[in-house]
Amino acid sequence: MMVPARFGTWPITIRVALATAGLMVLFGLVASQQVLSTLGRLQDARLQEYARLHVEGLAVALGPFALHKDVWEVYDTLDRARANASGERILFTVVADERGSVLAATDPMRAPVDSAVAAFADDAVPVGEVTAANGTSVVRVMAPLSVQGREVGQIVTELDVNDLVEQRRAAALALLAGNATATLILVIAGYAVVARMLKPVELLASHMGEAGGAPQAIPETAIPRSDSVLTKLLRNFNEMAGAIGARTEAERRLAERERFVSLGRLSSSLAHEINNPLGGLLNATDTIRSYPDRPDVVRESADLLDRGLRHLRDVSRAILEENRVDRSGRPLSGTDFEDLRLLFEPETLRRRQQLEWDIGVGDDILRRLPSAPVRQIALNLLLNASSAAPNGGSVSFTLREEEGHLNLSVKDDGPGLSEAARSRLMSEAPVVPGGGVGLRLVRDLVADLGGVIACGQSETRTEITVSLPWEGNSAC
Amino acid sequence: MDRRRFLEGLVAGAILGAPVRAGAGISFRLGLTPVFLDNDAVVIDRLRSSLSDAMGEPVDLIQRRTYQEITASILDGSVDAAWICGFPFLQHRENLSLLGVPVWRGRPLYQSYLIAGIGDDATGLEDLRGDVHAFSDPDSNSGFLVTASDLARLGETPERFFARSVFTYGHRNVVRAVAGGLTRSGSVDGYVWETLAAVEPSLTGRTRIVARSEWLGFPPFAARADRASDEDLQRFGAALRNLGEQPAGREVLDLLFLDGVAEGDPGLFDGIAARMAEVARL
Repeated sequence: MMVPARFGTWPITIRVALATAGLMVLFGLVASQQVLSTLGRLQDARLQEYARLHVEGLAVALGPFALHKDVWEVYDTLDRARANASGERILFTVVADERGSVLAATDPMRAPVDSAVAAFADDAVPVGEVTAANGTSVVRVMAPLSVQGREVGQIVTELDVNDLVEQRRAAALALLAGNATATLILVIAGYAVVARMLKPVELLASHMGEAGGAPQAIPETAIPRSDSVLTKLLRNFNEMAGAIGARTEAERRLAERERFVSLGRLSSSLAHEINNPLGGLLNATDTIRSYPDRPDVVRESADLLDRGLRHLRDVSRAILEENRVDRSGRPLSGTDFEDLRLLFEPETLRRRQQLEWDIGVGDDILRRLPSAPVRQIALNLLLNASSAAPNGGSVSFTLREEEGHLNLSVKDDGPGLSEAARSRLMSEAPVVPGGGVGLRLVRDLVADLGGVIACGQSETRTEITVSLPWEGNSAC
Repeated sequence: MDRRRFLEGLVAGAILGAPVRAGAGISFRLGLTPVFLDNDAVVIDRLRSSLSDAMGEPVDLIQRRTYQEITASILDGSVDAAWICGFPFLQHRENLSLLGVPVWRGRPLYQSYLIAGIGDDATGLEDLRGDVHAFSDPDSNSGFLVTASDLARLGETPERFFARSVFTYGHRNVVRAVAGGLTRSGSVDGYVWETLAAVEPSLTGRTRIVARSEWLGFPPFAARADRASDEDLQRFGAALRNLGEQPAGREVLDLLFLDGVAEGDPGLFDGIAARMAEVARL
């Protein structure tokens, strides 16, 4: 599993567990240091007390012998003290006279009589400073030998502190093991507790992210009862999800209605489109009635009737096609743009606008896109352009294929998109009440198809371009 | 308590200028020196009880650290008799009389040993020059006089020959000093060394004998000469010489690794006298 690089991006359960571990390690270090420090002080106090008793005891016994430089008595006292000593703490003791010459030692081989005591005294410390904290298994302690206030020699003793060092090491290891175990347990427990606490949040996240980001209501049975705040949060979420669903449904209905709105806007033009030929057709029927015996006139009138009726058929078919309830799944084709032109052109004629219509893409490309949304996008943009363009102005529609995209371009010579219209077309900002929803519908449909919208403005022309990736070449 | 004997003794002591048997009538006092295995409480207790039984009166064993102290105790009457060394016996020959001489290995004789550490390669006294040497006591024959006289034959004194001389005031201590490495060599009673070899071989095992002296008179039991005819001293002498005849006495002798106590002859100590003369000549 790839671990995200930044700590802040890791799951919160992991972060809490790791934070707990970090704090525990920090706490463990501080606590361990305190314990070891206290242990060290106790050990040193014990060691100093032991050394003081040993050295002072010997000093009392050896003082007169050192004063008289009685080698044998010094040795005999040291030897008997060594033999009677409990434990193995005292490793070696050497006694020297006031000039630093060895009088006797518990091991005369190491410190021969009359040799210099400096070899042992140089790194020895006074009784009050002896410590086992240096990690060495042997420490040397020295003390003066005094008789009636007069210094007559010195005594140096080697103490075996290996047990104390080992005790300290064992304590350190025990603390390390204990802290590591406690940390591990707390990390696992922390992970479990946090994971449990965050379960409702994960539930929320999973329902929020499902179905391509559309929130799904959490089943009532899955909502925990134990935490009133969480229960309220999840219920609020459900209400919000319901509201979003309702809004989506409303938008769907609005979009559905928009088609009728589009036709409604075209109805006047379409009525003219139907009405205009009707006069000619009625004249043709009158002509036939008036000249039934003139075959050439009847034939001509019949032809006129035929053309008029065919036109009416085409218009009505286009209207029906536009109003078909279920057009999902039908692929786009050149016919769709012929229908659009049939529906839209009367509107431009009504307003004496010049329409340029350029379909430069074949059905082999067009069929890769669905019919309904593309027709709706094109119709809404054309209606918007026609509205924007002045009477007698111009509107153009261009269809091109470019690098796996179908580019729809609608131009007009109007004053350009208002700020509100641009907002509806280019952003997700809430629709201002009172404005039309046609451009917002374009935006939503383009987004559903994975396309992008560009809006260009020059001094005389406004151009809106929609680029739609066709199937098998969807935008990433 | 026999007041009459006490008063007689007091008068006699006043006449002689020295107390006679301090505490007379209470117990007989025997002085012991470090020639003896003075660290063995069991041996001392058995010796005291067996001598008490043999004499028919209590015997106290008085221990002193040095030969000089115990010799002085005999002379001043602090003790009635003492087990001393041949050297102080000869030093005070005119004032002391023999009560008996222990018999060791069939003869009332013993040797002085010159010992060194087990790993020491010295082959003779001269190899030990300039080192540290352990003596037992300056009034000991085997623990001082023999080596001092050997050095006198070389025209040396212990002070010049050795870097340092250490008096341990005990033959066992001499062995300890050498075995422990405190001194390179030591002068020790051969009887004590051999007895230690039997009872404490771990100690003597760390030493080796570099040289043995000629056979010399064994450390004797002695008393002040002017009291030699006293009845209690006579009884004590008899008890000593007959010690082996009683089971308890025999047991003590066995503990001491001795065969018995002979009457003894001052001529036994002629060898010691000769060594004294050699030292005196230097």
